[in-house]
Amino acid sequence: MKHLMILMLLVISAPTLAARLEYDLRAEQVADNTWFVEGKTEDFSVENGGHIVNTAFIVTTEGVIVLDTGVSRRYGEALLALIRTRTDQPIRLVINTHQHPDHFLGNQAFADWPIAALGQTQAQIRQHGDSFAENMYRLVGDWMRGTEVVVPDQVIEPGMMDVGGHRLEWMELSGHSGADLVLFDHSTGVLFPFDMVFYQRALTTPHTPGLKQWQQEIEQLQAIPFKVMLPGHGPKVTDQRALEQMHDYLGWLDQVLAASAEQGLSMTEVMTQSIPSRFDGIALRQVEFERTVSHLYPQYEEAVFDN
Amino acid sequence: MMRIYQWLTGCAALLCMNVALAAQPPDPLNSVLWDYTRNIFLGDVDYRFNPDVRVDVPAFAEDPTQVPITVDARALSGNIERIVVWADLNPIQHIFNYFPSELASPKVSLRIKVQQSTAIRAAVLTKTGEWHIGYAQLDAAGGGCTTPSMGNADPYWQSHLGEVKARRFAADDSEGARYKFRVIHPMDTGLVDAIPEFYLQQVELKGPEGTTVVRMELSPPVSENPVITFDLDDTRSGYTLWMRDNGGNEFEQTL
Repeated sequence: MKHLMILMLLVISAPTLAARLEYDLRAEQVADNTWFVEGKTEDFSVENGGHIVNTAFIVTTEGVIVLDTGVSRRYGEALLALIRTRTDQPIRLVINTHQHPDHFLGNQAFADWPIAALGQTQAQIRQHGDSFAENMYRLVGDWMRGTEVVVPDQVIEPGMMDVGGHRLEWMELSGHSGADLVLFDHSTGVLFPFDMVFYQRALTTPHTPGLKQWQQEIEQLQAIPFKVMLPGHGPKVTDQRALEQMHDYLGWLDQVLAASAEQGLSMTEVMTQSIPSRFDGIALRQVEFERTVSHLYPQYEEAVFDN
Repeated sequence: MMRIYQWLTGCAALLCMNVALAAQPPDPLNSVLWDYTRNIFLGDVDYRFNPDVRVDVPAFAEDPTQVPITVDARALSGNIERIVVWADLNPIQHIFNYFPSELASPKVSLRIKVQQSTAIRAAVLTKTGEWHIGYAQLDAAGGGCTTPSMGNADPYWQSHLGEVKARRFAADDSEGARYKFRVIHPMDTGLVDAIPEFYLQQVELKGPEGTTVVRMELSPPVSENPVITFDLDDTRSGYTLWMRDNGGNEFEQTL
């Protein structure tokens, strides 16, 4: 009898549990043929399933260009279904903008089409992809079920690409992860900096070649005459404010790490430094600051020893 | 009948044990290994949890091979025999012992390896024989103790073993000085296949007359290429750092 009741409970609860694991992806049209799928400005969790990344797609007359595939197989499938509600055009090209797992672990849903990334990104995904995926299983749990790494099969070179009425300029930067693709669509004026820009969500630094490098590349982006910019994390903007926030925050990080090293602070002491109130609107700033100290402070300490 | 008698004695013994345990303060972190580890490091003695013995760790161990911790026992300054620091759930639990002299300000920072989320303990034995326990809970994905040291993939350490970089800074409070140093050493735990245990065991900071001002005994969970920060209530210069590893190598450097 007891077993029967447990069995009944399981039968009743299973569908509700399954229903919980559905990404509620919405596509917002931000320019001609250009759709933005905005994620939450949260950390990875079993509640949000890793729906914390922005993806996008451009519907050209020669097929759809998919810009990042999300955090899991389930996300990739949801994204493909969403694209299908907007267009019947075939998928032309799928892009993984850099090596981080929330941008390529949805590749399985797009495995029938060419998936391209920068050469270095391809190598990074081949090398670290499995351990990234493992970490995602730990962070978001069952949302990841069935997710496996699909390494991009094509290399995209920086430069101009004319496709289906869109004049696309691909750029290779490095500030966020060592190899960061940036796209400027000259036809619509939409700039896709991907994770080179976080807006209202604290930037992450596990693979940055350096804060100064990243800041200099933000200055390059400031020179681009865009009408709309879609950050990799955080809401879209139509002006310079996201780039200004990035520039300011990167500068502050560099300055606080350098000053702390000069004072001889230990890592735990740096982590308690207060973040200026002008950054109060940035989600996850405290936890990301602590992570950044872990990633970068040893280099700043080393520089002070050498003085 | 005999069996019932045995059973009753067993129950009585268990009850007595519970009473004895109840007399000791319960672990605020509710770690399953608290009673086991405190028995190893303290023995069967009285103790108290004391929040004035501060253990600072990050909210999350971003890199489980390099987790920063600071132990600050300045609240008991002048009355400290030794500080014992360990991680309850590490395969090698002991991290370091710290022995201050009168010229030491008992605050020390370094980086450690952790294998999983764990309680970190700093047990301070006072000169009057009391144990004061500081603690912190560290969240981690883990694997820090069974990952090969970076040095094993790169022969750099072999020609730079024991090389020290150090600098003196102003103290973070009152009168005194702070020394931070970084030494090249793989600090291998012996828990990785085919890589034997190889780590710094002894660190001493000696004053101008050669007397030891701070002495530390390290265990393998101290991170590779240790970075250690000491605080002193002494502004004199002329300090030296002396270290020895379990291979018998000795290193000495004027700071």
